[in-house]
Amino acid sequence: MKCPMETGQNEILLAYSSGDANAGDVLFLDGHVPGCAACRAFVEAQRTVWDALDVWEAAPVASDFNRQVFQRIDGQVSWWQRMLRSFEPLGLRPGITLAASAGVILMAGLLIQRAPAPLPVPQRDTAQMETVQPEQLVLALDEMEALSQLSRPVHAEKANSEM
Amino acid sequence: MEQRVNRDVGAGATDSDPDAELMVRVRDGDAASFGALLDKHRMPVVHFLYRMIQNRAVAEELAQEVFLRVYRSRATYEPTAKFTTWMFRIATHLALNSLRDGKHERTQEHLDQSSGDLPARQVPDGRPSVEQSMVNQARLGEVRRAVAALPEKQRAAVLMHKYQEMEYKQIAEVLGCSESAVKSLLFRAYETLRARLAHMA
Repeated sequence: MKCPMETGQNEILLAYSSGDANAGDVLFLDGHVPGCAACRAFVEAQRTVWDALDVWEAAPVASDFNRQVFQRIDGQVSWWQRMLRSFEPLGLRPGITLAASAGVILMAGLLIQRAPAPLPVPQRDTAQMETVQPEQLVLALDEMEALSQLSRPVHAEKANSEM
Repeated sequence: MEQRVNRDVGAGATDSDPDAELMVRVRDGDAASFGALLDKHRMPVVHFLYRMIQNRAVAEELAQEVFLRVYRSRATYEPTAKFTTWMFRIATHLALNSLRDGKHERTQEHLDQSSGDLPARQVPDGRPSVEQSMVNQARLGEVRRAVAALPEKQRAAVLMHKYQEMEYKQIAEVLGCSESAVKSLLFRAYETLRARLAHMA
């Protein structure tokens, strides 16, 4: 095996500096590194990086993380799937659950169809009179009198013609 | 037929990957197996996302999204790769999108402030002195800044290599590139970190 720095095999030195190199590489590098300035500098610098990165331990995850995930999953469930779920506690197979749900929907539809039509609300006779304003009543009476006056000359002419 | 072939391949893959086996059970309707995956992987996923983005709230939100997508994909899951490869591919994708959208910048934790991160080195016989705590926090701040300064893909490669102890091949599968590309990413990343953190020897 040749000097990793000369052959560009830095990954061997990376593994060696982190303690992950295979036995053969370890055997070679244990003998080579102390005498090679380039490899020695690389290994020492890389071990500093590993030690520095080891300092960074992330804080614990939120205790309700799982609950939030399941909440988001439930939020994605459609109304149809929720309805199917309501039959799951019975331990029925999915096909039967589906059939049962379909039956419920069919029954609901039939009940809605058979529901009697609402009876029309009877109109009250006084409704129209209640909406008539006093001025309108006076006007109507005037018009009726006018009509009755119009009809008198006709009767008089008839009477004259008969004579 | 193709599905049977895939299942045969899947059966072999799950033999060496217990997580893939759990995910196959999730696919087949076993909700408890999803809980087991959640318990096992939530910490590494959150920690990876946090070190990528350095915003705790966003990291947890994105981690929830990772598991939501895992769950949503359960019906079509096939164990053609390691489960963690698939999971970290989703996590990396979300992290890179978040960084590019700049969402984390609105509430980014100041890299000099203590964010609740724990310096790993403490005096073994009791609480650290105030001076030691300050030194530890300062070192932690330098490490965080050094990692944050790396280009995104280099950062992701380093975090997976160092903290998830992934091999080059798996990192390549997560990032969707070749092994030699991963070696190049890590070489440049560690070269930068060696220069930046040399004074911490």
